[in-house]
Amino acid sequence: MKKKIIAVLMAAAMMSVCVTGCGGREGAAESAPAPATEAAAEEAAPAEEAAPAAEEAAPAEAADTSASAGEGFEDGATIGVSLPWLGTQNWKEAETMFKEQLAAAGYNPIVQAADQKVPQQQQQIESMIENGAKVIVVGPVDGTQLGAVLEQAKDAGIYVIGYDRLLENTTGVDGVVQFGSVKTGELQAQALLEGLEKVKGEGPYNIELFGGGPADPNAPNFFNGAMSVLQPKIDDGTLVVVSGQTDFTQCATVDWDNAKAQSRMDSLLSGFYSDKEIHGVLSPNDGIARAIITSCENAGQEIPVVSGLDAENESVEWVWSGRQYSTVAKPTDALVAKTIEIINSLKDGKGMPATDVTADNGVKDVDIYELPPVVVTKDNAKEVFANDPGRMELLK
Amino acid sequence: MKRVKQVLGGDLRQYTMVVALVLLIAIFNIISGGRMLTSSNFQNLLAGNAYVLVLALGMLMVIVIGQIDLSVGSVAGFAGMVMAIAAKELNLPWWVAVLIALGIGIAAGAWHGFFLSKLGIPGFITTLGGMMIFRGGVIWISKSISVPAPVELKWFGSGYLPEWGPAFTGMNNSTLLLGLIGIAAFIFVQFRKYKGSKEENPLWAVVVRICLVSVIIAYFTWLYGSGRVGTSFPVPGLILLILIIIYHTITQRTKFGRNVYAVGGNKNAAALSGVNVQRTYFLTMMNMSFLAAVAGILFVGRSTAAGPADGTSWEMDAIASVFIGGAAVSGGVGTIMATMVGGLVMAVLNNGLMLMGVGADRTQVIKGFVLLAAVAFDVYSKKSGRR
Amino acid sequence: MENNPFILQMEKITKQFPGVKALDSVTLEVKRGTIHAICGENGAGKSTLMKVLSGVYPYGTYEGKIIFMGQEMKFKNIKESESAGIGIIHQELTMIPELSVTENIFVGNELTKHGLVDWDEERRRTREILKRVGLSIDPDTLIKHLGVGQQQLVEIAKALSKNVKLLILDEPTSALNEDDSENLLNLMRELKENDITCIMISHKLNEIAEISDSVTVIRDGHTVESYEVEAGRVDEDKIIRAMVGRSIENRYPEHESHPGEIIFEVTDWNVEDPEVEGRMVCKGSSFNVRAGEIVGFAGLMGAGRTELMRSIFGHNYGIFRGGTIKIRGKEVKLNSVEAAIKNGIAYVPEDRKNLGLNLLDSIRQTIVSANLDGITKKGLLDFNEELKAAEKYRESVRIKTQSVNVGVNTLSGGNQQKVVLSKWMFTNPEILILDEPTRGIDVGAKYEIYKLIHELADQGKAVILISSELPELLGMADRIYTIFEGSITGEVSGNEASQESLMKKMTATAGN
Repeated sequence: MKKKIIAVLMAAAMMSVCVTGCGGREGAAESAPAPATEAAAEEAAPAEEAAPAAEEAAPAEAADTSASAGEGFEDGATIGVSLPWLGTQNWKEAETMFKEQLAAAGYNPIVQAADQKVPQQQQQIESMIENGAKVIVVGPVDGTQLGAVLEQAKDAGIYVIGYDRLLENTTGVDGVVQFGSVKTGELQAQALLEGLEKVKGEGPYNIELFGGGPADPNAPNFFNGAMSVLQPKIDDGTLVVVSGQTDFTQCATVDWDNAKAQSRMDSLLSGFYSDKEIHGVLSPNDGIARAIITSCENAGQEIPVVSGLDAENESVEWVWSGRQYSTVAKPTDALVAKTIEIINSLKDGKGMPATDVTADNGVKDVDIYELPPVVVTKDNAKEVFANDPGRMELLK
Repeated sequence: MKRVKQVLGGDLRQYTMVVALVLLIAIFNIISGGRMLTSSNFQNLLAGNAYVLVLALGMLMVIVIGQIDLSVGSVAGFAGMVMAIAAKELNLPWWVAVLIALGIGIAAGAWHGFFLSKLGIPGFITTLGGMMIFRGGVIWISKSISVPAPVELKWFGSGYLPEWGPAFTGMNNSTLLLGLIGIAAFIFVQFRKYKGSKEENPLWAVVVRICLVSVIIAYFTWLYGSGRVGTSFPVPGLILLILIIIYHTITQRTKFGRNVYAVGGNKNAAALSGVNVQRTYFLTMMNMSFLAAVAGILFVGRSTAAGPADGTSWEMDAIASVFIGGAAVSGGVGTIMATMVGGLVMAVLNNGLMLMGVGADRTQVIKGFVLLAAVAFDVYSKKSGRR
Repeated sequence: MENNPFILQMEKITKQFPGVKALDSVTLEVKRGTIHAICGENGAGKSTLMKVLSGVYPYGTYEGKIIFMGQEMKFKNIKESESAGIGIIHQELTMIPELSVTENIFVGNELTKHGLVDWDEERRRTREILKRVGLSIDPDTLIKHLGVGQQQLVEIAKALSKNVKLLILDEPTSALNEDDSENLLNLMRELKENDITCIMISHKLNEIAEISDSVTVIRDGHTVESYEVEAGRVDEDKIIRAMVGRSIENRYPEHESHPGEIIFEVTDWNVEDPEVEGRMVCKGSSFNVRAGEIVGFAGLMGAGRTELMRSIFGHNYGIFRGGTIKIRGKEVKLNSVEAAIKNGIAYVPEDRKNLGLNLLDSIRQTIVSANLDGITKKGLLDFNEELKAAEKYRESVRIKTQSVNVGVNTLSGGNQQKVVLSKWMFTNPEILILDEPTRGIDVGAKYEIYKLIHELADQGKAVILISSELPELLGMADRIYTIFEGSITGEVSGNEASQESLMKKMTATAGN
């Protein structure tokens, strides 16, 4: 019998392919007419107008991509938060904080993580749309691969806020909250230089460079920020990149995978440092920093000056004990607080807050809400974490 | 019971998964407060899983011949990436890029097929190699950076059918037409079959069957057609539907399809019956990678960009669908339709758990149990079915 | 217990499967120190009875009582029956080919010392046991390097290593050649002298006649008769009558042949062994077959009969090293099985389950499987045509089944073979090669297959019949070729041949 169904559908399918023509249900749609959106206009499907669905799952308000003002929404509205995964401390913290603080602010939060899988994240965002979210906060797995779903969210009149990473290649984004990533890179490099002078005495210094996951749009920014500080020193001979690998693609660590970084460091050490000492390594985050330090220890090298990022617990301990020279704290609480501040503004109908910074995501200029990161070394650790009892615990 | 049998025809056991699917949908719909059975959710369900189901079509045939293809995810990612790069950096028209991607799929499949059929290297090893080669290839050619895809492709990955004609229907008329054609064709086929064998097929059973199926098609037509203006039965769903029909026909109604089952059931007996075993292996592997390329294109269309990690572990989803659909690890057993049901069970489960806000971690655990339960049930019912 | 002459008494055993009563109150009494033969057509319930005895079907799933060595037994699994002293040698060998003789004998019962396998002790005992079964091979030899006959003996050795009192042999000689069979029968006599009782299930009445002390005949799940006999003086016809429930006057149907012209001619055919370089499995073989003629090929196992036919059938075996094939006087090149089928050749392989059938297929799918073009219309398979073809053969070949939609695995051996024959008849061949077409088939079904072969010959087809059973060749063939070590050593017309004259040519090169 199933065969029959198929035969039928085949016929059906073939016919429908032949179907052409325009028209539509403008007159019949029971929902109120709505303004066209950029997103809809770009759709290849010849739907000329996109009206919000009349069902209760989707909000009936008009969506305006410029989003300078909106109608706001009621208390207890659903807020979706889609995070890339929970495999590192900062994302796990973000998950907990969003859940607690959104609930405390009177919203109904749905916080989900996508296990580093793009299709998973696409489907999660769709289910948030389905669940009638008013705002969706997205920390993307890959900032370029959510175009279609985010535009779908836009069509449903939902505000989309990028969290920590830029959302590229889509019109379906209203703003991005992140730490200045170029700035972060600069801070990492400055800390590295300062550490080398302090710990390793007179130059020149032998160093190596590591970049983050190439799929993360922040990673090249970190790297470029750092290089803007380091390049002059390389040029004047203070710093020597012994391996000669100074391109981002050479230095990148796929998926921010610590194991990959460690094996790269292993081969650098065995390949270039059999008769040399390594003095410093630029590391884009704490996990990679620890992998690098472990690798150096295994190779019998004296621990080099290594930078970091995220102030993960283990690295905070390592900084405190002197194994890792520095890390950069991007306090998750600040990022979450800023995001919730924007959500509150949207709720009150005030639209997206104003900002000076924008970034080109390939399709449009996106508003960026930048927060300043903080360098942490053994010297200032106690001040930085004064309000963070969890990390203060570690400084003993 | 006998009556039910007459209406459905044949072995009732093949409907267990269908029943499971219906139950899952119903349960999730209740728990999520009606969010499951909505136009937009079902549109998403189909558009978001089309690529896995396309892979499962090819994987079914691969598993039926007693092999396995671990490379499909990597090939899909590679084909998608080549397409994106061809369009963006070489400035080729989008359709040329698509053809290149399909060509790459066929070439990759020929590569696997060559090692399997000419050199006799087991498919598991051949495609394990392919998996590494093409995964490395994606990262290499993309330099680990996502590449935006041509805008036209979005239609394939997440587009909708056109709106046209009278507005009083209150539906997307393309979808409506699709549904009507479906019902008409079903009635036509049923009556032709009725003429063929009247004894096993009493008229009342035919009529009941037609009504039942018509109601189902009508319901889904309404579900897909009555969404937001501008939406309809999704384009990737339609592509999938056409592929299902083609592959169902190939497996059930052509000499090649029979050869696939013959080779999987008993390779030596097939060879002695005049089946060219090596050619069957070759074509099946080639077809698999071709479909992997199609899946890659659909996915890139939906993601608007090709990423270096695209396709990671897709092969596992495809393989799971095939086995939930009742295929045998030893080969020779399995159908396209059952595989599609298996794939939909996974998709609905995923979707329903997300609607409930269950995290990816626990979703994974639940899916693992479902896979085991489905296969265990299948094995059990086969065992108790014979002495 | 000492006075009890019976080592085994199975009383009123009834075993039911859903919808079928496989055994209906079967009684079997086996005397200590005898060889007891169990006969019956396929599906009569012999194997089921042995499975009940050995614990494959655990206590509680059948009715009745098993008394072994004076005690009632309630086996829950094979392990328990084994430790009680019952060993079973299955029709299909269960050795692990990649392991050595020693490892196979002790698999699952490894001897250990300090938690490690005690190889020395295992080897010592293996040598001992091998001597008992008359095998002089290195215990470290891998099973895959042994011939079937030797494997069979190792299997028996394995059972002996477990101290069996009662040994069940299920069709022990079906895969053996005459020499190995003779060996095995001798071994059974020796075991008997050593107070090991044997139960032998067999189709080969001559073997039963040769060695058994008592015979039990089972038919349709009932014990038909059970009586003591004197080895060497058994009335075979009496057994046959009991097995089939009727008297078969002549085991081979009457047939008058009318051979026509030569339509199939093979000249100077050479094939090299695919595994062993330089070894020729066919050496300069030449033969011909006429239309309407049944030509027999006699040869011992491994003589190259099957290899010759499979290499002719589209180079399906070995490496082709020269030779020509003429069909109706025209030379043809058969480089693939497909080409062979297209040229009107059909080959029914000897190993039905592994080479002849896809056991997952239904009867109708099997019948059309070698000629899918025959049911293809506009590129698609026409299921109505398939059904028509299947129904046609079900009737003409008399396949006993409720419906052609059921799987071939539900059929008995004889009916499976009929399906295979139908499959090849559907390709409409001119030349039919039948390789052991009646192996493992009971007497009644054999008769029907013979009649079918006669019908095919009467239709003017050339039939090649390979058989290990000389009486079968003598009863069926118009002309017989003998093969020894890859060469054709003789050609005899059917009515001149005798078992002795054939056997002589089968064991010597031409010219002797």
